[in-house]
Amino acid sequence: MSDSKQKVIQKKLPREVYRALKNVVGEKWIHESRSVVETYSKLSIEGASFVKKHEKDPHVLPACVVLPATTDDVQAIVKICNRYSVPFVPFTNGQVFCNPTTQDPTLIIHFSRMNRIIKVDTQNMSATLEPYVDYAQLQAEAMKRGLWNGGTPLATTVCKMASQFAFAGLWQTDLKYGLLNRNIISVKMVLPDGEILSTGSRCIPKAGDFWEYGPGPDLMGLQRSGLGTNGIVTEITVKLHAWVGDEALPEIPGGRPSLKHVHDAKYDSPPEPLKNHKLLWIEFEDLDTQLKAMREIAHSGVAIGLNATGVYSAFYCSQTQEMTVQRCKEHFFPDWNCYVILANTTSDQQIPYEEKVVRQIIDEVGGTFLSEDYKPEVLEALQPWNYDCIRHVHGYRMNRKFYANAWLPVGPLEEAKTVSREWKKALDMFGEIDITDRGGADDTPFVYALQRGHFCLFETDNYPDPVLPDEIKKAQGYGLYGAAVVTKYDLGPQLMAFVNVEPFTTMFPEAGPNAHLFMRKLRKVFDPNSVAAPGRQVFTEEEWQQFPQEVKSAVNKMRELNGMEPVT
Amino acid sequence: MTYYESKPHKKFFEKTLEDYRDSIWGCARCNWCQNHWGWNVKSAEYSEICPAFHEFRIFPYSGMGKMHIARALLEGDFDYEDAPEILKFLYTCTTCGACEMNCQRLQDKEPLQVNETLRAQLIKDGIGPMPEHKVLIKSVKNYDNPWMQPRTQRDRWARKINIKNIEKEPAETLFFVGCTVAFDNTQWHVAQNTATIMTQAGVDLGMLGKKEICCGSPIARIGDRDTFFDLAKRNIDLLNATGVKEIVTFCPGCFKALSHDYCEVPDVPKLNATVYHTSQYFDRLIKEGKLTFPNDVSKRVTWHDPCHMGRHCGIYDEPRRVLEAISGIDLVEMERIKDQSWCCGGGGGVRTAFMDFAQKTAIKRIGEAKKSGAEAIVTSCPFCEQNIGDALNSMNDEMEILDLTDVMVKAMDKRET
Repeated sequence: MSDSKQKVIQKKLPREVYRALKNVVGEKWIHESRSVVETYSKLSIEGASFVKKHEKDPHVLPACVVLPATTDDVQAIVKICNRYSVPFVPFTNGQVFCNPTTQDPTLIIHFSRMNRIIKVDTQNMSATLEPYVDYAQLQAEAMKRGLWNGGTPLATTVCKMASQFAFAGLWQTDLKYGLLNRNIISVKMVLPDGEILSTGSRCIPKAGDFWEYGPGPDLMGLQRSGLGTNGIVTEITVKLHAWVGDEALPEIPGGRPSLKHVHDAKYDSPPEPLKNHKLLWIEFEDLDTQLKAMREIAHSGVAIGLNATGVYSAFYCSQTQEMTVQRCKEHFFPDWNCYVILANTTSDQQIPYEEKVVRQIIDEVGGTFLSEDYKPEVLEALQPWNYDCIRHVHGYRMNRKFYANAWLPVGPLEEAKTVSREWKKALDMFGEIDITDRGGADDTPFVYALQRGHFCLFETDNYPDPVLPDEIKKAQGYGLYGAAVVTKYDLGPQLMAFVNVEPFTTMFPEAGPNAHLFMRKLRKVFDPNSVAAPGRQVFTEEEWQQFPQEVKSAVNKMRELNGMEPVT
Repeated sequence: MTYYESKPHKKFFEKTLEDYRDSIWGCARCNWCQNHWGWNVKSAEYSEICPAFHEFRIFPYSGMGKMHIARALLEGDFDYEDAPEILKFLYTCTTCGACEMNCQRLQDKEPLQVNETLRAQLIKDGIGPMPEHKVLIKSVKNYDNPWMQPRTQRDRWARKINIKNIEKEPAETLFFVGCTVAFDNTQWHVAQNTATIMTQAGVDLGMLGKKEICCGSPIARIGDRDTFFDLAKRNIDLLNATGVKEIVTFCPGCFKALSHDYCEVPDVPKLNATVYHTSQYFDRLIKEGKLTFPNDVSKRVTWHDPCHMGRHCGIYDEPRRVLEAISGIDLVEMERIKDQSWCCGGGGGVRTAFMDFAQKTAIKRIGEAKKSGAEAIVTSCPFCEQNIGDALNSMNDEMEILDLTDVMVKAMDKRET
């Protein structure tokens, strides 16, 4: 820890750069005061920026924040950055991948002014959005028109479609509708050198915005999951699907809380199931049976969502932190479970038919439906998921401390066993940080069955205390170890990390092989001046040589623990 | 007990930034402090909830941003001299509490409390408040009201009204009028309506007259804790001395101060009387059959929840029930209501120091009201009525801003009134 009274001083942009940027957006929309840049530095669930804050590292502070209003503004800003070799970081909420790590004065391009839903096309079932539009906004507008974007990931108002374009994007009804990546029709991007790229059919003027593929190779595919390093999305068109619920979600029966009584139990009032939707909960004896049942259900073609909720049920469905911990200790929620979301998307008879199919599968595979006759108290406690599976709102509240590391590998369902086993091994080796870390070991990991069960996402997490940097560092150790585990067991790329994020891109060359070398070539093509979120997705050779030796050593230690050769 | 409630309990006005260390470090940057609660969102247009972020679009204006600023100040990462602009960031907050509502519900943290504590710290350190607030504080110290009005004028509104002066004759229920209504002659009608309605309903009502002093609410929100403590103590002593069992007030600021804030002040006696907002009292009188509305009032109206009455104190349903009890009233709702209501823009000292921004926020609320199809916005707060009223005037708009009592008086039989 550094001297607690030591100030942290930001770097500033050269004055001619500042003036040039100001000329683009106007004085009102450019900021470089100390308190403004502070609010664009410590990120949400990225442990590294917390540790750097504790250590008073000035490099987490951007030099300047600029707010464009149009694609033209973005293009002009990016061209200025290229002209003066100023690194820039596209920024919406600051959840994960925005942190400027460069030692040079860095510009934040914040998109909060670009927040319009440009068009909802009911005939072609699509919506075109600016980068600051979030899932709650899109869903609300779509639902009024009998349409739906297919679900909401992570947190309704945190996640923006354009941000999620930067990585895979997932939601809890992926089983039917697929990841966001499968639901993008086109993007308009400002490339790192300031050129504008339109993908899909919209690249042909007046052809319309209806098809993912434009002339030639799949340019959007090349840009997806680029973490902002391959350009900035200024417009995104996404697919919509049929919605069979009401135009708006109904009021919660318990009424509205006030600040004075916000924690009163009556306001933690679970919603009834949505119209034309039904949620079934199934408990299993062991992980093998659970995974077999999930596979059968996924492959049967029924249901729109299929997830094992693991320790998240304790977080979401408990009113207090105390209750969360108690329920974890007591294994109140079934260790091995999943829910199935049924919907009448085609007919009123769809739910009864699909329920029959699910029940037949469970009869054959094994498992018990939670019901009024079997663990009714648990079924009742799980009711917050009635909405959460459709529009993610975190149940009653997020009863956890800071969230600093996650293993998020994707893979075939069976690999959940590997994740669970290895997570438990890691806990035994390093020790848990919080009891809730046990979710994924003693409890089932969070398992999303994605895209009709073609693959799954597993999630296990650490919950350190944000005030204690040693706990955060320990969680970071889990992250490094997890990257090694994922590689060792061929678990597949992590959805929100690993091959997309340095230092893993370079330090796990088994992925690819040598994917990082190809990505370096791409970076040279798209970003000849190395200004677009540099060092985020892939290092240049020069950046790799300058990368801190202690981090390289830490990753290599984790590689060694998993029987892999060090990377030099 | 929630995670943060497990920390040692202190009264709010005793707390310093240090007491929020866990909370401000733990800000999850989920951005729900800027947005309407997820499952209540009905449109993109009305999906944001923080007036300051909505207008200025950068994070320091949001609850989350203030948590980050608080963390940096607490840890010495920067000082006031490095960031004089934080005064504007802190004082463009209307203290509407929307950020705190969503953060408490989701992440169990307190961005509004942190902002108010920051304000108090700035004042203690000689940095805050805004110059306009200093005038207001000085006025309260000199005149016992924020509007630089002589004490002798406080009861002018009551000259033609039959209401007891509790200093001269006892009464069961005390009407705490509040400075804004008492001194702004465009709002006298609200006090007059209130006294008339309650007297007609048989309530034994009295007032403090010229002896009433500022409740201290604007001072508390601005962050001048010493002045507020003094006012709280003086008010508690004054009110307890009357011996009344019930206090009723129309102003949500007064209501929150008397009912929620004084008990958070260290080392002051307990206020003996039960404090009611007028809408709660009217609702009770209707239920008891003491208040009836024989006249039809044909009007489509929408209810604007004042933040310090609704979100802060939980009075959502009572005024709606009062309106629904009036024949001909068609109550339609805006998209953002109750705990997710959009602030009028006038609170927290914003109207005093940032009038343009306050007016812009009110204009946005008026737009939302118009979309509901209402002909009039009904509310029960002097600041909301002033701020929305001024905005309507500037827009030259036909929509009306009415006090709840205006509608009630129209609905009551003339012989009774």
